[in-house]
Amino acid sequence: MTTDDGAQQGSESGAAASAALDGTIWPEVDRALAGVTASAEPSVLDVIVSIPRDEIVRGLRALKQDPSLQFNYLRSLTCVDNEEEGMDVVYHLYSISNGYNLTVKAHLPADDLNLDSATGVWRAANWYEREAAEMFGVRFRGHPDPRTLLMPEDMTDTFPLRKDHPLAEIEVLQGEALAFPSGAGGGEEE
Amino acid sequence: MATQVRPEHEFDVQDLMINMGPQHPATHGVFRMVLVVDGEVVRDVVPYIGYMHRGGEKLSETMDYRQGIGFMDRTEYLAQFNAELSYVMAVEALSELQVPDRAQWIRMILCELNRLSSHFMFTGAFGTDVGVFGTAFTYSFRERETVQDLFEEITGDRLMYAYFRPGGLAWEVPDNFVQRVREVLKSVRQGIKDMDGLLTDNEVFRARTVGIGAISAEDAIDWGCTGPVLRSAGVPLDLRRTEPYLKYDEVEFDVITGTTGDVFERYTCRIAEMWESIRIIEQCLERLEPGPIMPERMPRMLRTPPGEVYMRTEAPRGEFGIYLVSKGGNRPHRLKIRSSCFANLQALRDMTIGSYVADAVVILGSLDIVLCEVDR
Repeated sequence: MTTDDGAQQGSESGAAASAALDGTIWPEVDRALAGVTASAEPSVLDVIVSIPRDEIVRGLRALKQDPSLQFNYLRSLTCVDNEEEGMDVVYHLYSISNGYNLTVKAHLPADDLNLDSATGVWRAANWYEREAAEMFGVRFRGHPDPRTLLMPEDMTDTFPLRKDHPLAEIEVLQGEALAFPSGAGGGEEE
Repeated sequence: MATQVRPEHEFDVQDLMINMGPQHPATHGVFRMVLVVDGEVVRDVVPYIGYMHRGGEKLSETMDYRQGIGFMDRTEYLAQFNAELSYVMAVEALSELQVPDRAQWIRMILCELNRLSSHFMFTGAFGTDVGVFGTAFTYSFRERETVQDLFEEITGDRLMYAYFRPGGLAWEVPDNFVQRVREVLKSVRQGIKDMDGLLTDNEVFRARTVGIGAISAEDAIDWGCTGPVLRSAGVPLDLRRTEPYLKYDEVEFDVITGTTGDVFERYTCRIAEMWESIRIIEQCLERLEPGPIMPERMPRMLRTPPGEVYMRTEAPRGEFGIYLVSKGGNRPHRLKIRSSCFANLQALRDMTIGSYVADAVVILGSLDIVLCEVDR
């Protein structure tokens, strides 16, 4: 693949990480992100760039508009729930003219899940952000159409893809709504 | 949502909202769209998806890497091998497994055959959408059946193959595999010619498709379209060429592109791609040699080191991506399925506004959506 960084993944020490970033597109990206605080770490296929959440849209727009990078194609946008460590919003970018790949991450603390919407940068972010919002409870500020996408229209208070969400939640919800006899099982006493 | 720009009218007119679906034969699954029409012209489209949402990403996080393969078949049920491939390749990339050559060639053959069967499904269903009712379907399904039979002989199942494994394949193909693939190809060649003769120069078909639902290359990229939808707009993005996986860098094939990005070119791109798939399969058959199909040392229980990977492959409908985040252990911490139809369907609104109501069905059909993949 285009940006192969070897097997240095997971190493947090600065020297090893910067050595693993040699030969990647990180210097280019770093230059394009002038004025944005960004850090990079290598991964299996693509370089991962972390941008603070206040600067995320500025950073993404810079990556898209930089003439030598041109990340004009948003492959995917999603969230990763790390429970008490907060949530990561992950953008996978691709440059059709150059063939570059990049992963961009914005970290959100668990108690404040607000992020600026990227719909102004790529229209493709529209549905991805709607999905991330209803599944993880991230609020994308400035989203033009903040309705639910896959979930029912009124299901705006539960976030099914979060780690603390039970897998078989329907039983939990229906159990409350239908007011089953208290205690597990309900029918065991008979 | 009926707040679109209205044309000047002498009288005060009201836009009519037509609900289409979710149970509608032309929506190719459970899909609903509300068409806001002014006379015959569509002013706005509001798509509603999610009727097939099964929470597959959450389910995959509770399944180990071997069990997750089966879910991929259920996600993309017309290109099962392609979906499985993305998943197993993501696991392989994280755990640094080396796949033997023979397994890679067989995977390529099966993925391209799957592309053929998926495109046959498209030509059949699409022919029905534009009015060649029944005939297109029966011709397509006759050939699709030969491919399905071959898949059944290899995997034992007609729909849910679960044949790829992290590291290689579940079991060896039958002894007469090469001969059977050649037989299938012979039949498929005739099938493509039949479809071509039935539809491509058909006057009714052309009248319904040429110049309809066009999208520009810039818009298609901005909406995240991939696959034939993007290539027909003139962007030569084919992951088999731009980021070769398996052995795609060792075979010759052309990336098919169009110019106008209309419904007709989406169809012709797919037909041309089918010939390219046959070319690829023939080269794979030449290169196929006996050998192992799994690495020699495989752990009994596959565990991945912590890390993350976004693995993407070119499925018949476009880029099928698996974003796999591992925190160690035998199951993913997070698994995101990047569905090609999901992004293509986003562009539907752009394509449909301004066209006639009758064409809305044709435009939707030309995207070749699989709702199970859209909703996951």
